[in-house]
Order: sequence, then structure tokens, then C-alpha cells
Amino acid sequence: MRLGKVIGRVTLSQMIPAFEGGRWLVVNPYTRDLFQNGDTPPDGLSAEPSLVVFDALGGDVGQTIGFIEGREAASPFSEPTPVDAINAALVDTVYHAPKK
Amino acid sequence: MRLARVEGNVVATRKHPSLEGWRLVVCQPINLEGEDDGTPVVAIDPHGAGMHQRVIVSSDGAAARYAVGDNRSPVRMMISGIIDKTEENAA
Repeated sequence: MRLGKVIGRVTLSQMIPAFEGGRWLVVNPYTRDLFQNGDTPPDGLSAEPSLVVFDALGGDVGQTIGFIEGREAASPFSEPTPVDAINAALVDTVYHAPKK
Repeated sequence: MRLARVEGNVVATRKHPSLEGWRLVVCQPINLEGEDDGTPVVAIDPHGAGMHQRVIVSSDGAAARYAVGDNRSPVRMMISGIIDKTEENAA
């Protein structure tokens, strides 16, 4: 799981049936230099490429989420599903204390 | 598996049900010298790793699903050990 800030949403009019009921979020992943510490997401964007994440938890723009990438993103679905990133946690608080 | 240093933890009330009750820690991937190497990842922590302790983080989804006991869980990163020491063998 990586953490990132939700910076947008994607709406689809046609999709495969397995995706119905979910939403799609555009997420900018945090880096070590731009990471949340406390309750509020950091300002600005990181240089990491933003990605589209499937969301069944109800994340919204401006929130921090924990998303999982890779094959594992498809495991909550009952059949093989073409999904590459999934929202696994709506983050409330982060305690981040980088060494040095 | 990656070497990593524990640099924080995450609190999330709304999450995938399989993550309920698991400690979520921020792991900074590092190299053998202890320098940062990559973006931080969040892993489940069955061992109770302490702040700034060095760990190994596995990205094996199958093993993590087995650990949380839910084969429909998306969980992937898991702390699989706490490091005592590393040695470099240049030979």
C-alpha cells in the first residue's frame, strides 16, 4: 500500500459489470519529501505520476487514501477483473517521522 | 523483499475489512548503507516493529492474504522480519 492525495475523480458511462457501484479516483502518491504528518494532507503535488484508483470505500477529493497496486488490487473481486490499483483505506491520521 | 526503515504509522477507520485490527506502519525502503531508496510504503506489521527500526518488507500478496486470513483481501506489503544486523561481503 502507498499513500496519496485524491486530486480528482473519473466518471465512466460504460464499464464492465464488476465495476458497478464503485468509483474512480485520481491519486497523486506521496514521496518521502512530500508526506502527510498529522490529520491534513500536504500542500502541492509530488513528482510521482498520478494514477487512477478503483474505490469502493467512498474517498473524495482532498482526502488521503491508502491504495494497493498490482495483481492484488483485483483480489476483492469474485472474478478476474482488469483493475490495477484499489483504495484499501481512508486515512485519518499519519504519524511520520523521517530519520535525519 | 526490500530492506526498509520504519518511519511512522497510519490510522484509518474506514478500510478494507481484512485490515481491521492490523497495525499499519510507514516503511521507507533503504539500501545497505541505510540511505533512502524509493517512495515510502505502508505495510501490515505482525511483529510490532519500533520507530526507526530496520525491517524486511515482503510484497508477496499470497502470503499477506494468508496472514490476514482472507483470500479476497487486496493486502500486499507485510513486514516479514526485524533486522538485527546486515553484513556486506565484498568478495
